Amino acid sequence: MTPVESKVDALSSPEFNVKLFVENPAGVDLEELIPVFHRWIREELLEDELPIDVAGYARVPKGPGVVIVCDHAHYYFDERAGRPGLRYRGRRVARGEGEEGITRAFRSLLRAAALLEKEPALGGRYRFRTDQVEFGINDRLRAPSDAQTLAAVRPALESAVKALYGKPAKSMALASGPREPFMVSIETGTSPSVEALLGQLAAVAG
Amino acid sequence: MTGGAMKGTWATELRDRIPEVLGREIDIFETQMDLRSRGDVDEKLFAETRLRRGVYGQRYDNGHRYDGERTRHLEYREHPTKGVDTMWDAPGMVRIKVPYGALTREQMDVLAALAEDYSDGISHVTTRQDIQLHFVHIEDTPDLMRRLAAVGITTREACGNSVRNVTACPLAGVCKTEAFDVSPYADALMKFLLGHPDVQDFGRKFKPALSGCAHEACGLVNMHDLGLIAKTRTENGKVLRGFAFYVGGGLGAIPHPAQLVDEFVTEEELFPLTQAVCRVFARLGEKANRGRARIKFLVAKLGIEEFRRLVIEERAKLPHDPRWTSYLVDVAAYKETPARAPGGLVTNGGQSAGFRAWHKTNVRAQRQDGYAVVTVKLPLGDITSDQMRSLADIAGEFTGDNVRLTVEQNIVLRWVSEADLPRLHAALEAVDLGQAGAETIADLTSCPGTDTCKLGIASSRGLTAELSKRVQELDLASEEALQGLRIKASGCFNSCGQHHIADLGFYGISRKKGNRLVPHFQVVLGGKWTENGGSFGLATLAIPSKNIPEVVRRVTGRFVKEREPDESFTDFIGRLGKAEVKNFLQDLTAVPAYEEDPSYYSDWGDPRVYTMDDYGEGECAGEIVPRVEFGLQASEREVFEAQLFLDAGDLPKAQDMAYRAMLTAAKALVQTEFLDIRDDANDILREFRTRFHETKRFHDKFAGPKFANYLFAAQEAGADGGRPDQVRQRVQEAQLFIEAAYACYEKMGTWGAPA
Ligand code: SF4
Repeated sequence: MTPVESKVDALSSPEFNVKLFVENPAGVDLEELIPVFHRWIREELLEDELPIDVAGYARVPKGPGVVIVCDHAHYYFDERAGRPGLRYRGRRVARGEGEEGITRAFRSLLRAAALLEKEPALGGRYRFRTDQVEFGINDRLRAPSDAQTLAAVRPALESAVKALYGKPAKSMALASGPREPFMVSIETGTSPSVEALLGQLAAVAG
Repeated sequence: MTGGAMKGTWATELRDRIPEVLGREIDIFETQMDLRSRGDVDEKLFAETRLRRGVYGQRYDNGHRYDGERTRHLEYREHPTKGVDTMWDAPGMVRIKVPYGALTREQMDVLAALAEDYSDGISHVTTRQDIQLHFVHIEDTPDLMRRLAAVGITTREACGNSVRNVTACPLAGVCKTEAFDVSPYADALMKFLLGHPDVQDFGRKFKPALSGCAHEACGLVNMHDLGLIAKTRTENGKVLRGFAFYVGGGLGAIPHPAQLVDEFVTEEELFPLTQAVCRVFARLGEKANRGRARIKFLVAKLGIEEFRRLVIEERAKLPHDPRWTSYLVDVAAYKETPARAPGGLVTNGGQSAGFRAWHKTNVRAQRQDGYAVVTVKLPLGDITSDQMRSLADIAGEFTGDNVRLTVEQNIVLRWVSEADLPRLHAALEAVDLGQAGAETIADLTSCPGTDTCKLGIASSRGLTAELSKRVQELDLASEEALQGLRIKASGCFNSCGQHHIADLGFYGISRKKGNRLVPHFQVVLGGKWTENGGSFGLATLAIPSKNIPEVVRRVTGRFVKEREPDESFTDFIGRLGKAEVKNFLQDLTAVPAYEEDPSYYSDWGDPRVYTMDDYGEGECAGEIVPRVEFGLQASEREVFEAQLFLDAGDLPKAQDMAYRAMLTAAKALVQTEFLDIRDDANDILREFRTRFHETKRFHDKFAGPKFANYLFAAQEAGADGGRPDQVRQRVQEAQLFIEAAYACYEKMGTWGAPA
């Protein structure tokens, strides 16, 4: 097995996911997100997605929260591990491999985060910190939760984070147990606004 | 498996862990998907095929969704459908059968992983001890099935017109009131019926359930197609085990109580009698009108006396099957092993109020001294993958593999040493699973309703989530008279939420106010949960969804105030009578104008303006597809595989598969007249020759016996290696033979000759 081959597998998965945490977890009310997400669907605010429905799990503690289920992605406002935040999860069709796929996952997440921050019904109460990010791959076949997957993913992930934040991440560590889906906790060492990160992505793409 | 190393597929990774038969079945399903995606299999046939693999439709899979203002077309990629009006790319539901709800830690781990990898991170426990995963895409289902198969679970026959999950009391084996442990019988019955030829021709589904006793609720025998209550009888000083044997129970729009066929069927007679019931149902059950195709309608039509006579007559004709009694060896060997030694709870007053409340409602002493059963209360049956994994670890520490799902959408841990209860409670609390109030008025049950079900009319989950909050706020569970009551809701009259046997039951309907629709629930009061779902509630009034919490408040309040000493809720409602109940709730039927209060015009948990536009064609019933069509479809798949072998240059396999395909088609035809034909080439050839070839029924109008002769020639040629051109010809002949088999079947009429 060459290092190139071992990278290809985890990084070709369509199941990348990225999560940003809210600045004020105490201000979160899952129920109020349900009408917001329904309206996003109605007004077609999620670019490049075919949204299908909203699933609400407010009754389940530390669960998936409220989910917009799309054809090729899920958007969760979840409370996993008691840490509320917005998570983008790709489904089924890879939107680019490796660094490109990671960057696209970030872009989808940041666009949705910006929508939530600006959501009139929420009065600006939902803001995201960007100094901590989770990146994961829900694909146990291609990306089991272990150090080898991290080693395989790290170069592309480092490169994507550097391009996004303009400097290398402070740290990246495996944050999932062996039975959990692969998850990396990233400390970026800086917390630019969601808008600034979207601007950076546009500049890089431009 | 190691880290980022190059992986094969789940099929290759799990090759050594998947039982051969299950692996083959899943491969076949994958091939059927492939054939359907090329348009080579009829959509109805494919729909029933996938249903029988547990792959179900879900709301909006017809490609339309109401967004609150208008109905939109969901622009899925162009692809053949996976059923009538069912988009291939639309996510669906997978139902995972868990026989008698028994799970191991390893299985829990896999379920947690599947919910994360293919669904939205939630496993949903159903009212029939299944697990459902929602928002699953069909292309993920073969791998999902493989990962389940590797831990001994099959989704086969979880949906469709088949024998559904075999359910049983979650307390079986540890309950103080049972005659004996029904667990190994449920397990054996499931294995006996799975894929049995006599259960392939049903017009509708068939649900079996087993109970250890008659008085408790656990097995809900009274509402099942086949219900078995454990009993013993002493003859000549010997204790015999057997079952009171019921058929024809069911809920649905019009509930039917099960009818007694025999008050004591010995364990040796259990399987043959069940088989005879299945044959009678397959032969005489309604096929054309699926609204009347459950066995309860057949029993009602014939009367139980006649039905019993037919079953006994059928039983006498059955060819002997050694499995009728060989399972008793497994029954005798069946044993559960606790993880810990028995112990006593030290009640030194030091326990917290939370522990005491939990202990009161969620802990039950076992028949075995020093052990208890603990109920883990789940909100409407939902559990996250993180919780599922933690629960597997908790089970590992405290109970071993003794975990079961319940029909009240909870999970029980059995064989907990009583000395460990405080520690166990703390461990459950740490993962938000230590909530008190199991099996009380605070423990509500709901079907998926409009959240995901195509047939949902109102939001049963939205309603029960709201009622859970209100019950808590009003602290109804602390009132002794109310504590044991049950609240259950269904999204429509089909009753998957079992509202008929709840004290307070609700099912979704819609009503018009002006030119707008308003979600309502029909209120059904006084059903009996005990005595295996002993009696059905009284349908009273249609009340707007938003007024249902007030119904609960009023009715429970009146019961507390006016009940006579020891009067049950069922009796209280009976005493009150329908007229008085109506009178008492009448004002709640009023719906304000939209302009006055628009909240009435949307449902609980769903802010969109209410509509029936999302209501779809249900798949509960599945498509009624005769067995012969499955056989012919299997032969088509085999000839397809023969072609693949040919393309890959594997001539011996191509030749053999082409012959097998012809045999499969021939057998399918023979089975329309001779159900018990063995799966033996000589038998099939002989029967085919006498029944179809010599009678000229298989002859083609122009080509005469030509196609039948392809089969006979293939048999004579045997497995001798042919040249490439000869093998190619054999594959082509197999294709023509199958087409002739279809033509023959069409001449016979839809259902073939009577079985
Ligand atoms: S009761 Fe109706 S809404 Fe509920 S799951 Fe059954 S068919 Fe669907």
